[in-house]
Amino acid sequence: MSTCPRCQAAEEKIRVEHKGLNAQGELVWTIFHCNACEFTWRDSEPAISIDYDTREAFFRVDPEKPYPVIMPPAQYK
Amino acid sequence: MSTDKKPLSATARAVGERIGSLRDFIEFLEENGQCITWTNEIMPEPDVRNIAVAAGRDSMNGPAVIFNNIAGYPGKKLVLGVHGSFTNLALLLGHPKGTTIKELFYDIISRWGDDKPLLDFIEPEAAPVNENRLTDNFNLYDLLPLYRINEYDGGFYIGKANVVSRDPRDPDNFGKQNVGIYRIQVQAPGEFTLLSIPAHDMGRHIMAAEQEGVPLKISVMLGNHPAMCMFAATPVGYEESEFAYASQMMGSPLRLTKSGNGMDILADSEMIIEAELMNGVRTFEGPFGEFPGSYSGVRKIPRFKVTAISHRNDPIFENIYIGRGWTEHDTLIGLNTSAPIYAQLIKDFPEVVAVNALYQHGLTGVISVKNRFAGFAKSVAMRALGTPHGTMYLKNLIMVDDDVDPFDLNEVMWALSTRTRADDTIVIPNMPLIPIDPGAEVAGKGHRLIIDATSFMPPDKLGSDSKIVTPPAGPEIDEIAKVIQLLQNGVNS
Repeated sequence: MSTCPRCQAAEEKIRVEHKGLNAQGELVWTIFHCNACEFTWRDSEPAISIDYDTREAFFRVDPEKPYPVIMPPAQYK
Repeated sequence: MSTDKKPLSATARAVGERIGSLRDFIEFLEENGQCITWTNEIMPEPDVRNIAVAAGRDSMNGPAVIFNNIAGYPGKKLVLGVHGSFTNLALLLGHPKGTTIKELFYDIISRWGDDKPLLDFIEPEAAPVNENRLTDNFNLYDLLPLYRINEYDGGFYIGKANVVSRDPRDPDNFGKQNVGIYRIQVQAPGEFTLLSIPAHDMGRHIMAAEQEGVPLKISVMLGNHPAMCMFAATPVGYEESEFAYASQMMGSPLRLTKSGNGMDILADSEMIIEAELMNGVRTFEGPFGEFPGSYSGVRKIPRFKVTAISHRNDPIFENIYIGRGWTEHDTLIGLNTSAPIYAQLIKDFPEVVAVNALYQHGLTGVISVKNRFAGFAKSVAMRALGTPHGTMYLKNLIMVDDDVDPFDLNEVMWALSTRTRADDTIVIPNMPLIPIDPGAEVAGKGHRLIIDATSFMPPDKLGSDSKIVTPPAGPEIDEIAKVIQLLQNGVNS
């Protein structure tokens, strides 16, 4: 898992969130989180959710672009 | 707000007394063949969503499903579909299997209100939810068997949490304490985003806290009494208590206690996540497959930090499948969406017989009304649009006569076919509308449609020369229909 499946952020922006073990303590899957677009995924998921090229382009996120802000805090200032 | 009450049946009272928690209800559902356990090992994705969707296909009789063998989550339990069928709701209210939606509607109406709350307060030390208490090193990914609900969701969602918050400007006011269901996306082991909008009670609390620069503390209740979930999703008034409504519906006390951060919480819930708003912080959230059956987009929304977690031994994570209907979401909130609209309408118009707002949280509604004079149904429709829920949700309204069961779509289609004139429809342009309706002109604004499918009355001459066939109807025929159903199912009656 080198880049974010949603925004293609580089590896250094991705953190390991949690490792799922079985009852014997063996690794089953790992959960990752992208610090750029806040996407969370598990490496055992189907490609449609976690493979950049398989995912529908509609769902890509560019963290540099403006997105709607719910109850923008600036409105109180 | 309340309606005329009927005393509960002995069975309903017994069920109300027996069910004090999610665990009690799961046991009751199991005894009645309405909860199954999926024991084969499954992957969190896509297996949980696949099984949830398959189990939810039968909106009348589908079972709840317990998962106790999810790869990577040894020993963890997940339950979906607790409110996934009308039969499950019927059992909760002390009715037999086979109870019709209309019967459930009238029963909920007869229990509707907050004027006789039944609330017992117990000390936190005595509350089962406090069997375990964590105050640091939070890891929601470890505590809960989290998974992606729909394939393009932005992360792992908690979709059925009942969130308690208090108005930060009036924190001692019990009525202004809100319990609501808001979608929660886990953003870090000890942080999450929670989506609310200014129109929601929680949205008001968030704005107030940030405006005043004061902390907003919340308690996220997971795995709750089944009546609580129904009322957390119900649009009750700002100064009305969801706890009061839920207890009154069950006719039996709900046990409350205090959370560590001062909220009133259910003492018998599976888990309480105490958290605090990170004032001024907004984080990428979504997409999330929502109840209209489409994804709501990516937004930046308020973020919360976990401050403590209490949970029962071996907590059960209760979640929901939500997406293109029919889903558990529709069953969970359908009748409780319909009931307050009805209760508000009959105050001015006692001619209103029933309200069906089951579809997509009331984006389409069917109202049955006895016409007082020609055109009367249209006036009632306008009043419905002005109810608190109608203001944002009732997009398509079909008005039918009092001889049409609005919950029976065959009857509604008959009324549409025989009693509608094309010029008896009204389009009201550019009205407010929930932002996640994919049919909106722009997010947050759209047109409303009223179809008057009621029959004609003087001075209207149309239809005066046609007479309706009156087939046998009423309680006697309803009983025969039930006997036929039992005979068909091989049960001796």
